[in-house]
Amino acid sequence: MKFAIALFSPPHAPSSRRALRFAEAVLAGGHEIVRLFLYQDAVQHASAALVLPQDETDGARQWQTFISDNQLDAVVCIAAALRRGVLNDEEAARYDKPATVQSQAWTLSGLGQLHEANQLADRLICFGGP
Amino acid sequence: MSQSLLIVTRQAPWSGPGAREALDIALAGGAFDLPLGLLFLDDGVFQLAPEQQPASLALKDLQANLQALPMFGVEALYVSARSLNERGLSDGALQLPVEVLDDVGLSALFERYDQVITL
Amino acid sequence: MSTLHVLSHSPFSDSRLSSCLRLLTPGDGLLLCGDAVYALQGGTAQRAALELMPETIVLLALAEDLHARGLVQLPERLQLLDYPGFVASSIAFDKVNTWL
Repeated sequence: MKFAIALFSPPHAPSSRRALRFAEAVLAGGHEIVRLFLYQDAVQHASAALVLPQDETDGARQWQTFISDNQLDAVVCIAAALRRGVLNDEEAARYDKPATVQSQAWTLSGLGQLHEANQLADRLICFGGP
Repeated sequence: MSQSLLIVTRQAPWSGPGAREALDIALAGGAFDLPLGLLFLDDGVFQLAPEQQPASLALKDLQANLQALPMFGVEALYVSARSLNERGLSDGALQLPVEVLDDVGLSALFERYDQVITL
Repeated sequence: MSTLHVLSHSPFSDSRLSSCLRLLTPGDGLLLCGDAVYALQGGTAQRAALELMPETIVLLALAEDLHARGLVQLPERLQLLDYPGFVASSIAFDKVNTWL
């Protein structure tokens, strides 16, 4: 089965970890993730500026590792990202701001990518809230 | 054949970006000509209330986005009768032409769509 | 088309569970995770409402969230899920509706 997974909550939310555990189980079960999509406060996962205490789980980093280990297509909604201060080099130059996106793991793009993923997938699963 | 998507919007209009971000999903899908429905549920029905003046809060008017829905091909608009009644809103004075559904109608609505996003 | 409804908010401070209960159709599933598992707390109206759901509704909960919160004495009809079970459930139903 093909899954599109959309995340709506920030890295410190329990639903972020839950989504990661789910995504891992999807791949472990022999299924495919056609795309990961970040919307609303989930865009924070793409920030390179998060600093966590040593004894706390770094959800954003875990997601980044998962994405690169499995070469997944991982998209951040650009409109949601810009208004929350998550920019890549290109947008930072455009708006004369510091860049803060982990550009290697995540790609800034539009909501069309969410809709395209939904059309490609057998299942759309959203994670958000607590 | 395209998979259909029901977007359920439950946030009041001026409590944060939730209402607008739900609409943005609908408008983006409409721009791609996808089969979409939009359901106003719970506090989401307040988005349809008449006489709103968001400029008082220095906020962008959501109404322009709402009015754009039919232009983007999103015409399957629904509202929960129960949510309206609980909030003292009359179905005769709403900002958009929406189909009013009771709980049975809402259950049937969910059945008809391939995918759902409830935010 | 059956729907797996996923809830993660506490039902005591939030209306998602009550709104969801009104929309359920025979064959649907209700998956409690995060703080939504508090709906299974004994002696509550929320627990009673879950037990009153027709048998045609499948009641599921994420085991790790129950354990974390010390919830015991669970309804017999409740199916506990691990993550492979969560994935399997998302496939068993025609679509997943998370109440974000």
